[in-house]
Amino acid sequence: MWHSLETYRRLIAVRVRSQIQYRVSTLLDIAGMAIVTGVEFGALAMVFQRFESIAGWTLGEVAFLYSLVTTAFGTMDLIFGGFDPDTFGPMVQRGTLDQLLLRPVNVTLQVFGSAFLLRRFAKIAQGVIIFCIALSMTSVHWTPAKVAYLPVVFVSQVAFFGGLFIIGATSTFWTVQRVEAINIFTYGGTELISYPMHIYAKWMRRFFTYVVPMILLNYYPALYFLDKPDPLGGPACAPFLAPIAGFGMLAAALGFWRFGLKHYASTGT
Amino acid sequence: MHLFYELIKTSFHQQLTYRTANMAGLATNFFFGLLRAAILIALYGTAREVAGLSLRDAVTYTGLTQAVIAFLSFFGWWEVMRSVYSGDISSDLLKPMRYYTFWLAKDLGRALACFLVRGVTIMLAYALVFDITLPTSVWHWLAVGAALVLSTMISFSWRFLVNLSAFWTPDAMGVGRFAFILSWFLSGFLMPLRFFPDWFVRLCHLTPFPATVNTVVEVYLGVLTGPEMVQALGLQLLWFLILLAACQLTLRAGVRKLVIQGG
Repeated sequence: MWHSLETYRRLIAVRVRSQIQYRVSTLLDIAGMAIVTGVEFGALAMVFQRFESIAGWTLGEVAFLYSLVTTAFGTMDLIFGGFDPDTFGPMVQRGTLDQLLLRPVNVTLQVFGSAFLLRRFAKIAQGVIIFCIALSMTSVHWTPAKVAYLPVVFVSQVAFFGGLFIIGATSTFWTVQRVEAINIFTYGGTELISYPMHIYAKWMRRFFTYVVPMILLNYYPALYFLDKPDPLGGPACAPFLAPIAGFGMLAAALGFWRFGLKHYASTGT
Repeated sequence: MHLFYELIKTSFHQQLTYRTANMAGLATNFFFGLLRAAILIALYGTAREVAGLSLRDAVTYTGLTQAVIAFLSFFGWWEVMRSVYSGDISSDLLKPMRYYTFWLAKDLGRALACFLVRGVTIMLAYALVFDITLPTSVWHWLAVGAALVLSTMISFSWRFLVNLSAFWTPDAMGVGRFAFILSWFLSGFLMPLRFFPDWFVRLCHLTPFPATVNTVVEVYLGVLTGPEMVQALGLQLLWFLILLAACQLTLRAGVRKLVIQGG
């Protein structure tokens, strides 16, 4: 265990060192990403003055939803970046994954250590800033239970989206091409749960409740944190199911990953 | 001219061969469109019209913005940058064609394919799911066509210009990403420009970005009519010419500086 951590630390250190070689580019990259997370929310905030609310939710309450998932997704992207189907797909295509398999180090650990993009910190920072703004715009009645549950929700979201990345990466063992449909769940999913779920059509809500339970990750926990009534009439325990959805997804994804590795047959390049 | 036409044709067919990628992109764009439509519908609530846009216009707007993503390469375009780094540019510069024109032809072919496969299709899908606004006359459709062509030319010139930064820095991806992200906000892609406060809209109009997405949207929805519309199209032409000049000047300076590594 200790040895694995040390290996991981070294792999990450290499990634960091290579990125700070092009200092201006890295800084601009970080500034750019900081703006992108900023502009999406900034655009909503700037037009909000023309509207009263978004289906009964104030700007601050939407900011709460938005910033929580933004921070979690940014953190996930930092840790699970190696599994990003956009970067993992080419590894399978070019056969560079075969190199990793030949090394006497656990391959999962190597993939974890194969990407650590400093520019993800921009997204995380933006998420945290908007979260602070959200807290100042809403008056959350904090209780010890809520304070304890917030990090759990956060980690569950990281686990859930990390699981999606791993599933997308594993799929490329068979498809070789990257599977772009996964983007609907990763990038589309974060966008989806950045807004109160009751604004969506019934079929969409059902899909994201029963098939891919994203509704449990952000919306229900937010109802609990913000003390808002549930217009969808879900069970009273719904706000507390985030860890089950998040870690269930991650466990299933890791199982699929192990299965995929066992059946990986290389492209022969 | 013949070469120009052949390049367009080749790159058109090339883009069409990426069938799965086109389908996946289409599905993603449509899904995001549904989300954005839901958000605007929720924002409107009981309001009938906001800043001159009816709810139907606002929903149509989300379709239009999703439809232009592919053919304006809105999320990034790195081809010239790649050819500078790989050295391919050395053989391209020897071609009996201006470097800008060469890439313009290639991009027009790609854009045309994307327009048909990922632009028109999204609007058709939208027409099935939503009640959308449609241009009312032949003249109106022609104006939309003109706005689309001009926005493609502006967008190409802007992307080309951004890519030229590769002459000066060994890793221009950061510059590029920054430039593309900037264009989302200022072009009226994230929210209709009309919804923003006046001071901000004025700021946007100092840049070429509203001439890409926003003009297409406003001409299509019929928000701009008569002289206002002609003015908007004229402004598009002006921005194109400015960017074209900027591209040529930057390219000349860049080529003078270019060192091809190896051989």
